[in-house]
Amino acid sequence: MSSLIAIAESIEQSQIGVAIAESRYWWPIFEGTHLLSLSISFGLILVTDLRLVGVLLRRVPVTEVLHQLRPYVLGGFALTFISGGLVFWSEAATVMVSPLWTAKILLILLGGLNALYFEFVIARRPEVVENHTPLPSSVRYAGLASMMIWTVVIVCGRLLAYLPR
Amino acid sequence: MSIVDALIAIQNSGFARAITKSDHLVIAGLQIIHVFAFLLLLSSLVLMSLRLLGLVLQRQSLPLVTYGPTRLFWSGLSLAAISGALMFVTGTRHYFYNRAFDAKMLLLLVAVVIQLVLFRKVAVSESPSPVLATATVALSLVFWFGVAIAGRAIGFV
Repeated sequence: MSSLIAIAESIEQSQIGVAIAESRYWWPIFEGTHLLSLSISFGLILVTDLRLVGVLLRRVPVTEVLHQLRPYVLGGFALTFISGGLVFWSEAATVMVSPLWTAKILLILLGGLNALYFEFVIARRPEVVENHTPLPSSVRYAGLASMMIWTVVIVCGRLLAYLPR
Repeated sequence: MSIVDALIAIQNSGFARAITKSDHLVIAGLQIIHVFAFLLLLSSLVLMSLRLLGLVLQRQSLPLVTYGPTRLFWSGLSLAAISGALMFVTGTRHYFYNRAFDAKMLLLLVAVVIQLVLFRKVAVSESPSPVLATATVALSLVFWFGVAIAGRAIGFV
């Protein structure tokens, strides 16, 4: 752990890290982009999840929603990750010592695994591909799990802002 | 009684003090709800915009795609307005003298008018002209994301 913190400190104190932290504009721009891009990444994942649990777009087949939204979900996530990475660069050691940060990263991994499992296992079952009604309950559970995981990720992220700097 | 007196009176009211004094976590909770509510609004707006631009779900009719997201949009706005109002009463003067807050309220007003007058109608028409659809999406996205940016800026000003 102490070596991890040493690495984090060297990231935070690197030229770019310091430049971002001290800039009047870059930090707010990166942080703002990180937050607003959630409306695309988290937003479209949420739309998909609401379809999986049967709340939204019920008359559109699940596979169609997945397929059509995929490029925008991935693009949104790229934006969220890159801007988040730049914010992290400027405060690596500050946030890494918080259990909130660890929880956030672990949950992001869990959310990613859940999405991969859904995409490569559940969404390929014949009942889903052929759009049966009702869909297997595993579809609903995957949607529910995704919604909960990403919500907690955002709560952790928001709470990180309250850490003393 | 001037506006400032009224704002001070609101901030000093028992109700506002109850929120402020209760716990830091109550304010943090309100902020989190406010962020989520606005994300709900923006995500439904992003989905409807993608459909209006003909980028997704083109095989489904426009009204079919926008029906659910429209309700999600107004739910998000309501929740954001309620949580926002509760945050406002705890620091009326702080917000009143914040330029970003002024900008946010102005942008919000225009955004709501665009949504009611234009977007709401275009989003339920069977096949709006591409020019009208694109103009509606552009206006709506600029103002709602403007509201979000101004909102985020309140903390920096």
